[in-house]
This record gives sequence, C-alpha cells and structure tokens, in this order.
Amino acid sequence: MTASQIHRPGTAEHLLDVRNLKVCFQVSDRAVRAVDGVDFHVKPAECVGVVGESGSGKSTLIRAISRLMPNLRVSELSGDLRFEGRDILGMSERDIRALRRSQGFSMIFQDPLGYLNPTHRVGRQIAEALSPHSKGESDSQRVHSLLEEVGFSDPKSVAHSFPHELSGGMRQRVMIAIALASDPKLLFADEPTTALDATVQLQVLQTLYRIHKERNMAVVIITHDLGVVAELCDRVYVMQTGKVVETAGTVDLFERPKHSYSARLIELSAHRINFRSAGL
Amino acid sequence: MNPQILSLEGVSQIYTSRGVKGLRRVDVRAVDGVDLDIREGETLAIVGESGSGKSTLAKMLLMLNHPTLGQVTYRGLPLKTLGQEERSRYRRQVQAVFQDPASSLNPRMTVEETLGHVANRHNIVAKAELRSFLAAQLAAVGLDPPEQYLGRYPHQLSGGQQQRIAIARAIMLKPKIIIADEPLSSLDVSVQAQILQLMSDLRKTTNVGFVIISHDLGAMQSIADRTAVMYKGRVVEIGDAIYRSPIHPYTRLLLDARLLPNPRGTRIRSPVPRSVVPATSLVMEGGCRFLQRCPHAIEVCAAVDPQLRPMGAGATQVACHRAEELSAAPTPI
Repeated sequence: MTASQIHRPGTAEHLLDVRNLKVCFQVSDRAVRAVDGVDFHVKPAECVGVVGESGSGKSTLIRAISRLMPNLRVSELSGDLRFEGRDILGMSERDIRALRRSQGFSMIFQDPLGYLNPTHRVGRQIAEALSPHSKGESDSQRVHSLLEEVGFSDPKSVAHSFPHELSGGMRQRVMIAIALASDPKLLFADEPTTALDATVQLQVLQTLYRIHKERNMAVVIITHDLGVVAELCDRVYVMQTGKVVETAGTVDLFERPKHSYSARLIELSAHRINFRSAGL
Repeated sequence: MNPQILSLEGVSQIYTSRGVKGLRRVDVRAVDGVDLDIREGETLAIVGESGSGKSTLAKMLLMLNHPTLGQVTYRGLPLKTLGQEERSRYRRQVQAVFQDPASSLNPRMTVEETLGHVANRHNIVAKAELRSFLAAQLAAVGLDPPEQYLGRYPHQLSGGQQQRIAIARAIMLKPKIIIADEPLSSLDVSVQAQILQLMSDLRKTTNVGFVIISHDLGAMQSIADRTAVMYKGRVVEIGDAIYRSPIHPYTRLLLDARLLPNPRGTRIRSPVPRSVVPATSLVMEGGCRFLQRCPHAIEVCAAVDPQLRPMGAGATQVACHRAEELSAAPTPI
C-alpha cells in the first residue's frame, strides 16, 4: 500500500470523495463484481486519470459515481460517495439531475455520434444543455462562445450543422461544448479520444487541457492509453479486475511503478514500439 | 527478394455523392492513383488517418470493391478477368480479418459452426475429422484447451478471443495473404501485444503474408517489413525505414503525434492556438495534396503534384518535392 492510499485528508478538501464503492451485476445466475471496494477522490481543479484494460471496472466506476447506472441487473451498489460533501447515492433523481444541469458534473464519451441527436442541429443540442442563467446573454450568444471555447473558429456555421456533417474530432469538440454548457466543476471523460486519429487526438487533448486550466475545472479521464494520461494528468489510478491496484502522482507512477501490473502496462505501451527488438 | 503476389497499378476508387448543398454530384476520390506491389510472405502496413483511403484499398484487395480506374493483379492476372473457379481460389488465398471481431462473427453461431461453415464451404476437411481439425486450428491461434471454445457463442468470448477466432477462420484456409483492416484497434494494449505476437508467429510457421491497415504507427513499427503512408488517397511514402528516418512531412507529423508514455512530455500541455482550422477534404487540382498542412511548402508544391520516387536509404519512396532537403534534415524523434 502506498503512502497516498493511507493518507486520506478530510472530505472538505475533496470535490469528489468515494469510499469502498462496490458494484455487482447479475449476469444470468451469477453475480459479477465489476467494482470491488474502490476508494477514489478528486480535488478541485485536479486532472485525474483512471487506466486499466477492458473489464477492469473503470467505466463502471464513473457511471456509478455519476449515477448513470441502469438499475437493471445491478444487484449491489454500495459505498460512501460524496460530491462536495453531499451523498450521491442517497440523492433523489431530481437532485442528481439538478447537479448535472448546473455546476455539478458532466460527461463525454468515446463515441460522440452515439450521444448526439442526428436530427437536430448542433447549436440546439448545446442550447438544451445550458445551465439556468441570469438575463443578459442570449442562448445563442452562449452557444457561440462555448463553440469558440472548444476551438471552432467559425461557431455560427458549426452551430447550424448537423452532427453527420462534422468530422470525428469536431463532434468530440461539440460534445465537450455540451458538457461545458452546465458549467461543471467536474468533467468525466470516458475514452474521449480513442476513436480519433493521432493528430486529431493530440489537438482535442490540448483543447481539453486548456479548458481544464482556464476554467479550473476538475477532469477525470478514463483511458486504456497510458500515453494520454502521461502528459495530461496530475494523478493516476490503475485499475485491474474491479480494484485499484495503484494510485500515484503521474511522474511517480511512470518512473517508479510499485505494482507489477502498472509496470507491465507502462512497459507494454512504451516497448510496443520496440516489440521486435524487445524480443517479445 | 520474394516475388510479388498482389499488385496495384494506377488504382483509383471514385465514389460519387451528392454535394453538401444542392443536388450537384461530387466525386470523392477515396483512392487516387495508387501503385503498390505486395510481395509473397511480407508484412506490409498501410497507415494514415481516417479518410486517407486505406480501408478502400483493403476492400479492393479483397475484391469487395472494384477499382474505378486501374487494375489489381494477382500473380500477374487482373482480378477483373478471373473466372468463377479462379475467383473462388482467390478468395481462399486472400483472407480477411476486420476491426471489430464481434460484428464479423455471427452472433447466433457457435465457434464450431462459424469455423465449420467455412471449412465445409471450401471442402478442406472430411466431415468426420471436422471437430479435431477445428480444435487444431483453435490451438494454433492460442486458444487452449480448444474444446472449451468450440461450443461458445461470440458474446461468451472476450475481444481478444474473438479476434483470435477471426484469425483462425482466415488462417485455416492456408491463405497466401491476410488482409487485416485495423485488427488491433478494438483491443486492449496487452491483448494487442498478444495478437501482434500471434501474427508474427503465424508468419514464421505458415509463411503467410499480411497487409495490415492501421492508424497505430507504434504497433506497426513492431511488425511491418514495409510501411506505406497514405494521405488523401495517395501513398506519400513507402519503405522499411519510415519510423527511423521519415522523410515526408506527413509521415513526420504522424510520428510526432504519437503520445508516448512520458510523464514529462509537454505536447499536450504546450500552449496552442485557441482555434483549430479543420482540415478540408477538398482535392485541389494540381499541386501537392498535403500543401495546406505542410510547414515546408514552397511555390512548386502548389503547382505540381509530386509523384513517388526512390529516395534515401533502403527502398524508400517519397512523394515530396523537397524530399532531398528533408531527408538531410535531422529527424524529429
């Protein structure tokens, strides 16, 4: 166990504090423990990475936290989950929706096309997600400034387009704009650039990083690509079969991994490039 | 050098689509005049961004698409002229593995049915020996003990296991070449390493050649004998040294965009211009198609479309007017 795991500062410092989260799915006649006693926290304005392979429970973890878990087949969901000290699991559906709507948390996903309505123009979909605001700025002005914030030089024409008219990278930018529309304090990004080309991935991550800094918004990024977290995140959780096997500052993790699984993941992503010379 | 087995001669694929505004028809040249030789037993990687035409190229090699212009020849025979029997033999000798194994396997067929169907279709084994034959195929792709997998449905397998089944289905016909379209991108890193390992083992044991379409240069560097870099329907650089000494600015850009697991890296954190100009996909008349994104463009680049020509060490070919100067410049990585 590392020092950072034992030391647990008061909840007050944490934007998000999760203790002993357990999630169990009922699959035909047996129970599968997707998340098995995970402790997890995010400080305000921090960028946290969660890495692990498929089935490690990383997506389930943030879906449980953001209460985007279909009740169907969940046989157990327990733990102490707090967002700004408020109990997430005990919240009513209405309260949780209020939290998503304004200054709570937002999510972006791997496949933006699956989350955008193909029949509505982009601008309208961003406007729907806008947090309640005082008079002064019109909805369309706010939509345009959001589109500018995520890197579009011509927000007007983008707002007027349909999702299918945009490229993958542009769609992901639109998703980010929708996520930002509620002025979140925390953004969950589940494999946000996995479907994108390397050059586009770099641009989207640069944009995400800039927004994270400009807004002082905390970001939790879930990925299987260690290259993404290495430069982006302050701290990383490594998950394997539902458990956090290591958590450390990014530089510590990459330069002095303590758990053999983390070491193997890092080695694989670094040496895959020299796979042949490494004699694998 | 091995004899060439598949070759593309001036191949183009033109899709006609309706314009964004109005009814005007717009031609999209997904592949635009590609010459490429694939040699027996070699592993050729084709890399490039989405929309560069690499999957269209794969479809033409698999005879799923016929080129609009130019021709594909197999051992000197143009694919267009193949008779029914020759075509069936071609389909057996040139096999496919796709990106998403879950959707390339029938969800209502067990592994045994899926593989048995192909075996029966091509009459490669007697009915009585089918089961033991299939078991041997599964063992060959590292699914052990094979009996355990024969009765399973695709959803009862992990992504890596599904991809192994897809490879087993391809390899059991003893093909000369396997065309794999993004075979790694839906898999975890550790599973990717296993599949790469499996492919390089199969090369040694069966002498099968691979054409691997991928956008993952890291993985391709570890397995490919030669790599072709495609951009907007063209091969812009091809050779065996493109990772160590890239010449074309686009190859350099691709290599540069790779995120290595270096926590002290500063590419994401470096200040960048706030707005990003989206790359337009319009093909310009004349001139280099990389012009808009090229930091080294000069006058001639706007006027003359560069053709592939031999350059530098090894068998590298580059389509760039400034290849000589760039190959002398220090490499970015």
